[in-house]
Amino acid sequence: MAEIARTLRLYWRLQRASMRGALQYRLNTVIGIATGVAYQGSGFAFVWVVMHTFPSLAGWSLKEVAFLYGLRLTAHAFYVLPFSSLFGLEFLVREGELDRVLLRPLNPLVQIIARRLGVGQLGDLLAGLVLLVIAAPPLSPAMIAFCLAAVVGGALVEASFALVLASMSLRTLNGFALWTFVDDLFSRFGSYPMSVFGGATQWVLTFVLPVAFVAYVPASVLLDKTGALNVPALVAYGSPLLGVALFALAYQVWRHQLRHYQSAGN
Amino acid sequence: MIRVESLTKVFRRPHAFSGPFGALRTLVTRRYDERVAVDGVSFEIPEGEIVGYLGPNGAGKSTTVKMLTGILTPTSGRIEVDGRVPWRDREANARAVGVVFGQRSQLWWDLPLIDSLRLVGDLYDVPAARFTGSLRRMCDLLGLDDFLDTPVRQLSLGQRMRGDLAAAMLYDPPILYLDEPTVGLDVLAKQAVREFIVDTNRAGRTTVVLTTHDLADVEALCRRIILIDKGRVLYDGGIDDLVTAYAPPRRLVVELADGETRTFEIAGGTSVPELIAQVAAEHAIRDLSIEEPDLESVIKQIYAESMR
Repeated sequence: MAEIARTLRLYWRLQRASMRGALQYRLNTVIGIATGVAYQGSGFAFVWVVMHTFPSLAGWSLKEVAFLYGLRLTAHAFYVLPFSSLFGLEFLVREGELDRVLLRPLNPLVQIIARRLGVGQLGDLLAGLVLLVIAAPPLSPAMIAFCLAAVVGGALVEASFALVLASMSLRTLNGFALWTFVDDLFSRFGSYPMSVFGGATQWVLTFVLPVAFVAYVPASVLLDKTGALNVPALVAYGSPLLGVALFALAYQVWRHQLRHYQSAGN
Repeated sequence: MIRVESLTKVFRRPHAFSGPFGALRTLVTRRYDERVAVDGVSFEIPEGEIVGYLGPNGAGKSTTVKMLTGILTPTSGRIEVDGRVPWRDREANARAVGVVFGQRSQLWWDLPLIDSLRLVGDLYDVPAARFTGSLRRMCDLLGLDDFLDTPVRQLSLGQRMRGDLAAAMLYDPPILYLDEPTVGLDVLAKQAVREFIVDTNRAGRTTVVLTTHDLADVEALCRRIILIDKGRVLYDGGIDDLVTAYAPPRRLVVELADGETRTFEIAGGTSVPELIAQVAAEHAIRDLSIEEPDLESVIKQIYAESMR
């Protein structure tokens, strides 16, 4: 317990230090946030145009799709905000910065993610939260709690894939291309009701790459649409746990890869 | 304090193919390229000793240090540092060692030096009162006061190195690894670094492992050196013994009246006055000097012999 408190305290100290460093490039931050809002706003504008032409999408109204979109975006932001520095891991390895991380008495993953807060993604978070609040149906306190758990669970699903692919660069394999591809799948397919896709696609997006579990499955629970899912209702209610399980698994992969880290020459 | 036994590190990489689909073949190949960086190295370093760990580029020095610090896992062999196995017990080991890489700063680039030192204090759980005392001592020893509030990226190389040394010793580790700590420094800064190392070693009985290409560092600091090349230990012992055992003969250097310079080896048992007299009889001498073998020529000779 004391160890967890120490880790969190140090995470915060390191994060604050990197923010102080980043503040020297203030304009960058502002532009990043604005770009995020504009980018995600345009993404939703596209959905809105589509919905204007077809009043419902596989039985989902515009408002319901907006809710789904908001849930996915919020979950995504909750993953990118803390984990964005994983994107730079390959660079850290090549520059020998990872050696320095491994010299410190603190969990290496915590040190790496404390190197940067993805403030550029605050725009995503903002857009996501606005959509969520505007489009949310009336929810009981229990369902609000489920919604929060779903955001964290969805974030962890995406974070697990990021962690596994990033850990490839610990062994000088470049997982970046694959990562961009996976990230694209998550954002391209995660924000729509899965039932618009054919059975096979939906199956793949549920059981192979669990895109559906980031937002579609929990949103179905919150919108009382579990009947149309290709998983039992019980699984749907437990969906936030998938993120926790996947992340635990991904962390083991990470630790294994770290043990085989080869460091860079001088 | 440090015990290393038959330590070996083999780097294994998928074979890099060239040509069309080269990258793809590299990704799926089962062919590996192996490079033996450290090959059965053994040594022991008692508490309080300063040891020079020397070798040409690519000899395996840094790889050894990285295994001693727990950054790399050995392929085989055993390491024990202060009773721990570094790679298995990385965090506990990290608390017991200070590390300075001359080529690479450990400090936070965009922040004032004092912020970096505070963060190091936090990371190593140094209590506030002890931190203040340590910081005071470091400032006095290394003269940090003038640039404590300057962002690290604006520091000169010498200032940065002093900051790095402070960061490495702030939590009083019993062991200090220095990887080329004087590289690129001017004479005064080098002197400051050496004095700091001597002070730390004397005051706290800190064990120091020093890798360097600057033999003046070694002569100023170490009584014992470990020489390695191609991952193997070539010599482990006192510097004086090394020079006596491997010393190339002294040489008589003569400048002749016509400006030509000739050198004569003074073989063992030769009387120097006789040799001079003999040379003077045959040539008109303008100037002469005797070259004593120094550490550098000794080490050069050992490397040359290991090449054969």
